[in-house]
Amino acid sequence: MTAVQESARVLANDRLGRDTYRIRLECPELASRIRPGQFVMVRADRPNDPLLGRPFALYDTVLDGQGAVVGIDIVYLVVGKTTGLLAQSAAGDRIGLWGPLGNGFRPIESAGHIALIAGGIGQTPFLAYARELLGTRGFAGSDPKKRAERVTVYYGVRSAEYAAGVSDFEAAGCTVRLTSNDGTIGVKGFVTDLVASELPADRWIACGPEPMLHAVSDLANRLGIPCDVSLETPMACGLGICFSCVTKIRTPDGWDYKRVCVDGPVFDACNVVW
Amino acid sequence: MVDLSVSLGRLRLPNPILVASGTFGYAREMAGLVDFARLGGIIPKTVTQKPRIGNPPPRTHETAAGMLNAIGLDNDGLEHFCTHHLPYLRTLPAPIIANIAGSDADEFVAMAARVGRESGLAAVELNLSCPNVAHGTDYATDPAVTTRIVRGCRDACPYPIIAKLTPNVTDIRVIARAAADGGADAVSCVNTFVGMAIDWKRRKPILGNITGGLSGPAIKPLALRAVWQVAGLGAVPVVGVGGIATVDDVMEFIVAGATAVQLGTVNFYDPTAATRIVGELESAAGHLGVSRIADVIGSARVQPG
Repeated sequence: MTAVQESARVLANDRLGRDTYRIRLECPELASRIRPGQFVMVRADRPNDPLLGRPFALYDTVLDGQGAVVGIDIVYLVVGKTTGLLAQSAAGDRIGLWGPLGNGFRPIESAGHIALIAGGIGQTPFLAYARELLGTRGFAGSDPKKRAERVTVYYGVRSAEYAAGVSDFEAAGCTVRLTSNDGTIGVKGFVTDLVASELPADRWIACGPEPMLHAVSDLANRLGIPCDVSLETPMACGLGICFSCVTKIRTPDGWDYKRVCVDGPVFDACNVVW
Repeated sequence: MVDLSVSLGRLRLPNPILVASGTFGYAREMAGLVDFARLGGIIPKTVTQKPRIGNPPPRTHETAAGMLNAIGLDNDGLEHFCTHHLPYLRTLPAPIIANIAGSDADEFVAMAARVGRESGLAAVELNLSCPNVAHGTDYATDPAVTTRIVRGCRDACPYPIIAKLTPNVTDIRVIARAAADGGADAVSCVNTFVGMAIDWKRRKPILGNITGGLSGPAIKPLALRAVWQVAGLGAVPVVGVGGIATVDDVMEFIVAGATAVQLGTVNFYDPTAATRIVGELESAAGHLGVSRIADVIGSARVQPG
């Protein structure tokens, strides 16, 4: 569906973990069009600083009491100016928003066990996808339909205080397998190590820091497990008009720079040149 | 009712608001989000004769009220443009101004001749000023070369010719006059200012191309000065471009002497700005008590004494 630009009202902004918040935005038009794996560009309501929008994945859609789609949730880690301003925003504030953007996760009709593999703040696109797969929510006008038997979220964080949204995933019906670098929550170590030791599921979808995606992708390729990755690159527009967010994607005669915003952000892991 | 139409040499536009090359993709990306019928014109991304892969990322970097870019003319080449993008572009309800960059004067002329054989264009803009290509296409630093390219393209192509000039010169008036001498219907002032960004902790330049072109509100006063200077020559109509983001910016450029303007970086951070500003132009013109926007072009005055 085509994108819309909206001035969204902030409905809530709640802390989920260390430097990590969930902001709820009233944007019915955008929210009724977006599906899992797509993203939105957010721009603080300021003239020129920061100047450009920043990309954020759809975390979940927000429904009113009658079940109508009225907004979206975004979960973000405070890393810079825009996220710093978002963290200070309160109910009633307005922020600029355009979307839905990007291709979104592969629509799956029927699958057994799906593993969603997240590192750092890479869990954020997976809640909506888990709901779509398990048939607890429909997106972009489609009715809920069970598309996978089982969803496991493998989620690696630096330490326990950064784990954000675990209860949301559990409430959505996922099994959550946590790892932490320091062992303060879940299994100590990298999420890739846990995935490698359990070798779960019929299909993997991964989102997180590039070294993690590279490792997951290599493992999946070696085992012949279908794997998609959701990439994050710096973006100026999110719309495909600036050509800045490019990444190397395999082509029949080598590779070409593809725009992560419109050709992705979700790519078949086999096609990414790491 | 204010008449918003303007003329640049042989080119007539329904209103003075264009979207700049390299900031609007091939328009397809903006379908549904932007009402093309309201735009004065669309200038799609620069096309080169052969496909170009572009520069390695990072290709952009945000700066104070602006951004640096070094995309490097990433495009699929002229034939692909003519067979893939033009068939779509010519169906749109807005004037389409193709933007071409040749690797030398002969290639510019050959490209102008090639797009000149295509139907459905309103004009051709010559990118004489991309700062981000090795052994650059910034021909508009040399007046003789500028005249030769513009004249050759004008002779080879039936469409109005606009020369897009670089501000990275000692005196842009010299180059603008050279373009006028070559028969340019208009000059676009200005392309980006060469700049750079450094990550001092890693002790290295941030952009993959090391240097890049600065755009956005940060350069608006610089672009406005260039437009004022070139319009003052009275030699050629001027299209103002550089940091324009609001209707006030547009009116400043027009009274400074621009016949039309291009919105560039703002398309990235406020994608519906161009159509919104078109809607705001009537009341801005009304504020000056005119019924034709063309009547205020270059109307800024310097008080004598």
